[in-house]
Amino acid sequence: MNNFFEIKNTTFKVSGSEKVKNVSFSIKNEGDIVCLLGPSGIGKTTILRSIAGLEKISQGEIILKEKTLSSEKTHVEPEDRKIALSFQENSLFPHYTIEKNIKLSSRNSNRDQININELIKILNLENILNKFPHQISAGEAQRASLARSLNSNPDLLLLDEPLSNVDQSFKEEIQVKLKQILKKLKITTIIVTHDSYEAFYLGDKCGVILDKELKQFDDPYNVYHFPNSEKVVMFLNRGVLIPAKVTSPKSLENEDLGVITGNFVNPVEIGTNVKLLLQPEDLQHDDKSNLKFDVIDIKFRGTSFIYTLKTNTNNLLPVFVHSHHVHQHQINDKFGIRKPIHIEHIVCF
Amino acid sequence: MRTNVWFISSFLISIIVIIPIITIFSSFFQDTSNYYEILKETFFLEYVFNSLFLLFGVLFLTFFLGVGSAYIVSFYEFPGSNFFKWALILSFAVPPYIYAYSLFAFFENYGTAFTILKFLFGDGNYNQHIPKFSGMLGLILSISFSLFAYVYILARSSFLYQSQNLIELGKNLGFSKLKCFYSIILPAARPAIVAGLSLVAMETLAEFGAVDFFSVNTLTTGIYNAWIAFDDLAFANRISFFLLLFIFILFLTENLSRRKARYHLEAKGGFKKKQKTKLYGYKAYYAFSFCFILFFISFLFPLSQMLYWTIKFPENLYDLNIINLLLNTLYLVFLSSLVLIFFALISNYGNRVSNKKILNVLSTLSISGYAIPGVILAIAFITFVAWFDENIIKTLGFLSIKKIFIGSVLGLVIVYCIRFYSLAFNGIKSGYEKMNISVDESAYLLGYSKTKTFLNIHIPYLRNSLLFVIILVSLEIVRELPITLILRPFNFETFATTAYISASEDLLEAAAVPSLCLIIIASFFILLTSKYILRERSE
Repeated sequence: MNNFFEIKNTTFKVSGSEKVKNVSFSIKNEGDIVCLLGPSGIGKTTILRSIAGLEKISQGEIILKEKTLSSEKTHVEPEDRKIALSFQENSLFPHYTIEKNIKLSSRNSNRDQININELIKILNLENILNKFPHQISAGEAQRASLARSLNSNPDLLLLDEPLSNVDQSFKEEIQVKLKQILKKLKITTIIVTHDSYEAFYLGDKCGVILDKELKQFDDPYNVYHFPNSEKVVMFLNRGVLIPAKVTSPKSLENEDLGVITGNFVNPVEIGTNVKLLLQPEDLQHDDKSNLKFDVIDIKFRGTSFIYTLKTNTNNLLPVFVHSHHVHQHQINDKFGIRKPIHIEHIVCF
Repeated sequence: MRTNVWFISSFLISIIVIIPIITIFSSFFQDTSNYYEILKETFFLEYVFNSLFLLFGVLFLTFFLGVGSAYIVSFYEFPGSNFFKWALILSFAVPPYIYAYSLFAFFENYGTAFTILKFLFGDGNYNQHIPKFSGMLGLILSISFSLFAYVYILARSSFLYQSQNLIELGKNLGFSKLKCFYSIILPAARPAIVAGLSLVAMETLAEFGAVDFFSVNTLTTGIYNAWIAFDDLAFANRISFFLLLFIFILFLTENLSRRKARYHLEAKGGFKKKQKTKLYGYKAYYAFSFCFILFFISFLFPLSQMLYWTIKFPENLYDLNIINLLLNTLYLVFLSSLVLIFFALISNYGNRVSNKKILNVLSTLSISGYAIPGVILAIAFITFVAWFDENIIKTLGFLSIKKIFIGSVLGLVIVYCIRFYSLAFNGIKSGYEKMNISVDESAYLLGYSKTKTFLNIHIPYLRNSLLFVIILVSLEIVRELPITLILRPFNFETFATTAYISASEDLLEAAAVPSLCLIIIASFFILLTSKYILRERSE
């Protein structure tokens, strides 16, 4: 069966300057959600604009429902693509009310259409329907724009940082509802975001764009647990790389932590010096352990604490501790690590 | 309609508007008469000196009047401040030549001033005590009081858009009010003030009626003489080209001196509406007096003078076919506005959707018509039509087309369109600039074609800008003199031409009625536009 949507070896440019090169990925099923992650200015928006037809491509191919939309020789105009793009900035028609903005979409679709009133209710837009775009907040404008895009019944929906201006308190609720709507209506969606948690929650697949390349395209779980490069690790900022030596097919050794056992994600030759990815949840706290390091930083994350420990060789180790842990540690306290250390997935570079 | 169609339409419109402008520049490749040699050995230096003196005199006075009044009404609240806010732009209704008639007539020997003094104090030799505002001084005053509103409007708008945060920051830094003005307010308004002054400069060097009336020998006189006395259009064009070049260099220097400084910040929640300071006592009195005197001198004075003559010599009122003049004026206004709006809309949208550099260049060139004196533009048009008729039409064996374009309403409308194209183009462009390109993109992504986006999204959005442009163009056409004078059909008069013809025959009293009508109509248009011109952010 052919893919619903596909990008083949495409280079994305803006005003002649290369933003992201040789990108290839596909969306197999209608209704799947893909999230593209990456730092600001990396070219995520350019990818969306090119998919929407607002930018042309000079290399590669963009295919939707087996029809080539963009290639070196082909360029289907944006209005003929049945692709909706919800911009990050306010792109509502300034001279129309929010209600008119939402109802302006002119496409018909065979797909089940969402009830517009339900959509307005879900996105909490009831109170601003009669207002003009300049009279509402950035978060409200973003939600109205999202409603307009959803109401246009596109074959492919592109969302550019859809919740970046939405209040934190409201964000999770919207994320849940957005996912419900997209799945219910089977709207295939590509979401661009720099928020990895948002991407991991919403996406069936996640792509990480770094250094002008799509570094990794995989399930959210794999992107998190099996990052395929140091760059991805650094971007996700969820662990540290410490030096270690592979001692057997199921173990390696670090000068500070001693022997670490587990399953290698990729086989590594015994005796090789590697950089081991250590994530906060890989180490476990144990007050009775003899393996102790100094606490140099404490991050309170509500449900957890993340302690940063300094080893004898000046490596910094993050350790996750439940916030209901029986007692708290202070800076410069000695902090025990349970031995033996076992990591389920050993990722090393 | 695909992008290409919009590109081609926009391209063609720009070319049509540019043709007479190119004709002017092509004068550099044509032979000139010996007028240049004669002029060089006689009055050329005097013409240049007078032009510079006039230019800097007008710039200085309009800067002082425009910025001063804008500052007072923008930052202070005093009795009548809301009235003066819009009343000060009424000076636009009085073209420099009508102001010149009033100024001259009021202060001349046995003029209106003499009559008033005689009425108040009885017979006396007042003439020797009444100052005479003729020649260069009269010219500078006439042009300045008529045009200072350019600086007033732009400076006021800039003052309004300055965030209160900036001013509060100045206060926090311990700046006095004067230092706040010089260090924060004035520099931030610099681009707007310079834009206003550049409009004043162009209008001053293009001024025909007042210069002619006061018989001041400026380069405009040189242009006129080159054409009338020596039939040397090429040289006339060259002089006007150098005039424009001078203005361009002047303002380019100013622009370069700014380097990369920015004069406003994007208002993403950072804009705070200005709080006006309430004035009491003598301060309120001074502010009121400054604005009232300015309003009186720039508008009430010429209006009263014309009204006085109209009442004193009522026979002039009966001699004039006012209805006919009004219909002629409105006919020109209607046709020209229609064509201009159509051209400017298509051209702007074409530019927006095709985003081609060539169109940008052509648009920039096409709006330079506003900087070219009306006399020159009219003559250039005649030259081009004559050349086209001689070299193309007759060669192809068709009947002459001269009569269709020269001395016809059609020709008049075409040249108005070239002259005022920049007003229409820029008016619509400024409307477009407020509309983020993502609005267009959103429309396309909702399935709207280019044409549907233009008709359903852009036109409704631009309706205020369109209305504003129509009124602004109407105002300019009502006031316009040299083009109408040169290109109008036989026996086809407007208020402006009737006033000029009477004044040039030394029948200033007879010029009063058409002048008064012109002021009233122009005031009506100004009052209609004032809502847009004076629009504040909160509205």
